[in-house]
Amino acid sequence: MSGVRLHQKLENNIGLLIFGILFVASIGGAAQVVPALFQDSLQQPGVNTVPYTAAELDGRDIYMRESCGVCHTQHIRPLLAEVERYGPYSRAGEFVYDRPFLWGSKRTGPDLHRIGGKYSDEWHWIHMMDPRAVVPDSIMPAYPWLADAPANRGNDIDKRMRALQKLGHPYNDEEIADAAASLEGLTEMDVLIIYLQGMGDTVDPDAADDHGGHGG
Amino acid sequence: MARAISPLLIFRLVLKPNEVFQNLAVSRPSAGEVFFKLVVWMIALPPMFAWFGSLNFGWRLGATEPLVLSTAELAGISIGYYFTLLFGFISTALVSRWMSVTYKARESLGIHFAMIAVVGAPLAVGSVIHLYPDVFVNILVLVPTLIWSMYLLYKGLPVVLRIEPERGMLMASALIGYLLVAFVSLLGLTVMLWGFGIGPRVGI
Amino acid sequence: MAPAHYHDKVVRVLVLCSVFWAIVGMAAGVYAAAELVWPGLNFDQSWLSYGRVRTVHTNVAIFGFGVSALIGTAFYSVQRTSHVPLFAPGLAWVVCWAWQLALVAAGWSLLSGHTSGKEYAELEWPFDLAIAVVWVCFAIVFFGTIARRKIKTIYVSNWFYGALIIVIAMLHIVNSLAMPATLFKSYSLFAGSQDAILQWWYGHNAVGFLLTGGFLGMMYYFLPKHAERPIWSYRLSIVAFWAFTYSYIWAGPHHLHYSAIPEWVQSLGVVMSVILLAPSWATMINGIMTVSGAWRKLRSDPALKFIVLSLAFYGLATFEGPMMAIRDVNLISHFTDWTVGHVHSGALGWNAMITFGTFYYLVPRLVGGELYSTKLANVHFWMALAGTMLYILAMWAAGVTQGLLWLSLDEYGELLYSFTDIMASMVSYYGLRLVAGVIFLAGAVLMAWNLFMTVRGRETAKVLPPEPVANPAAASEVAA
Repeated sequence: MSGVRLHQKLENNIGLLIFGILFVASIGGAAQVVPALFQDSLQQPGVNTVPYTAAELDGRDIYMRESCGVCHTQHIRPLLAEVERYGPYSRAGEFVYDRPFLWGSKRTGPDLHRIGGKYSDEWHWIHMMDPRAVVPDSIMPAYPWLADAPANRGNDIDKRMRALQKLGHPYNDEEIADAAASLEGLTEMDVLIIYLQGMGDTVDPDAADDHGGHGG
Repeated sequence: MARAISPLLIFRLVLKPNEVFQNLAVSRPSAGEVFFKLVVWMIALPPMFAWFGSLNFGWRLGATEPLVLSTAELAGISIGYYFTLLFGFISTALVSRWMSVTYKARESLGIHFAMIAVVGAPLAVGSVIHLYPDVFVNILVLVPTLIWSMYLLYKGLPVVLRIEPERGMLMASALIGYLLVAFVSLLGLTVMLWGFGIGPRVGI
Repeated sequence: MAPAHYHDKVVRVLVLCSVFWAIVGMAAGVYAAAELVWPGLNFDQSWLSYGRVRTVHTNVAIFGFGVSALIGTAFYSVQRTSHVPLFAPGLAWVVCWAWQLALVAAGWSLLSGHTSGKEYAELEWPFDLAIAVVWVCFAIVFFGTIARRKIKTIYVSNWFYGALIIVIAMLHIVNSLAMPATLFKSYSLFAGSQDAILQWWYGHNAVGFLLTGGFLGMMYYFLPKHAERPIWSYRLSIVAFWAFTYSYIWAGPHHLHYSAIPEWVQSLGVVMSVILLAPSWATMINGIMTVSGAWRKLRSDPALKFIVLSLAFYGLATFEGPMMAIRDVNLISHFTDWTVGHVHSGALGWNAMITFGTFYYLVPRLVGGELYSTKLANVHFWMALAGTMLYILAMWAAGVTQGLLWLSLDEYGELLYSFTDIMASMVSYYGLRLVAGVIFLAGAVLMAWNLFMTVRGRETAKVLPPEPVANPAAASEVAA
């Protein structure tokens, strides 16, 4: 059977086998992933979507550091019950400045994509210091160390914004120069709350539904 | 065969499982006898317990209010449960018999019916916990019961089907593979039906 | 010139390190599980908080336990299927120790909170570079050994280990592309939806080629060895391997159903995930039929019990995956504990069990002796089975309940349950899962003791490759 004979060529030649594996394994990525990387609608910001401010960025980096995304998602699916619980479903255009994306894969705690403005700063502060004080059944751990640490702990907010600028985020040099000063006097808790309060106001639920070209 | 399968089966399974299996090894039960004298009654236990429990307590899914269903809905669910278990029993016995060819085990339908009934008996009895239909409590009781049934399968299969222990281990593992897949399929099918509007109301 | 022995000392070290990481990784898992029941277990320390401990658990389990086992068994089997000792044995030692060092450093790094924020790729860019270098060394040793082989045909286990090496390299390099900002912080090259698609191209295929493919390589070598019979169907192994390598890559988007990625990408993910069932099960059948035909040669030893049962769980996991990839099932299962249950049916039922079985077979042979205690290994078998079943069933119950209750509406279209109520209902299942994890971990500790006592005081056996054969055996025969 010629198929088997052809295969024996691969089985007798390590170079061919390596190439064969690489070729076959690349097809899926080439067909599925590469086009998405060049798809405009996935990189067009929604009308209300802007890059994170220095404070929000620092807060976001803390969110990642504490692995909040391991229990909280940031993606509302276009399902009736989900929209009712959390708000308008998430559009692509809202995430163009999310590096990396933080959609999450497990919802031990509630989705946070539109948490902005739903609770007061004080509520968030108490919740983070002792979750069970505001949600008695909560299994979330407490994060008291955030209240003691100053924001911009590594004094590197400018480096972080510079890196994002290189990746295409429209920060101007002035913003980056002022960044450290703008975080002066704030704690890690403050900037995390600023980040959370800024989440999800980037869509207008009454606007025509579309990929995020003008999400709101 | 009448002695092998008796109402005191469950006690003898606990105290002297080997005796039960040895008895089956030398008996030639008829499929009809096993099915109509034992299986159809044993399999009625879980739906019956579930019916009474749900009627009196409602479904407890956790820290939420118990779900109280109407008598008509409960009747439908219990009957569906019964036939699902029946289908599960028959298909498992048939798959087991199909595997017997590969593992050179006894192929009579009656002996496979008997073996699956005996191995599954703990679960039928353990389903008494359905009288309190709290999902967590049911898992707490039925998972150890399931593991015990799996242990009986490994121990009993080679004896009952009169094959060597090594072959028995291989066949038992294959049968467990089938059971795992069958159960998860049931899970998947169930949630799909919910999405199609059959069952609890989901907002999608 | 004195004949060279197989280089098995490095295998021994890697296997023992794998056992060590298994204990550490599972202990981290148990701790994380306990924290979901008693959140105070972080004692207000950042490095003990759930998010960081869980990340240590996943990384140590996969890259510590899993990859050490894969590298060790790859080194063991590639020599014996090529009839030559390892190419560049010094480099093999570098791979071994550099990997262990990286793991220790990774543990510190993750507990410190350094993370890229991408699942199963949390380690920051200095680690990414180091991993890439070590991986290239691994490739050199592995493929170099094959290039030097005395048997004409490359045996099937080497295709799978080879695919592990090549595809993981591709995935790691592309998904790790990032702009460094500081020594411990970088930002991904892509953002939002694009990053999501890339991440799950990586994430799903890390499962595919590391946790599935690599361990299939293990299975294809050790199972026929144990059974002293060739693989049941050579043709099936060819078709299954290429179908597997081709289709797995497309399945990533099933992690992103109902999300802001293109519909066509999601649909392709569904179709290819379902198609993937075929080569997965073909391989399982190949394994089962191989050992079924050779039952007479097997003593009822625990190593074989583990390997055979692992194939049953492999069947479950590779059926459940495609099933959960169907949108109508994913509707309920996404974001729930059902996904966690699915992961662990594979991780505990397939990966851990086949590794345990392989180690029980391999370690006594490495020292030319017998397993210290068959009885202990049999006890371990039942503990592993019990732990796995309890874990899966607790998570199935939790996941389906969660998924259903999140979406439940009353007759007026209002949400029936608050999120908090649903979450509170899950805690009892987390308790059961904790018990399951403790049982599984305890079994692994028994194994560690058993294997330690097996190797204690014994040198690694020196095994010579066989004399070259005039007519090389057909590809379906297992090399000495």
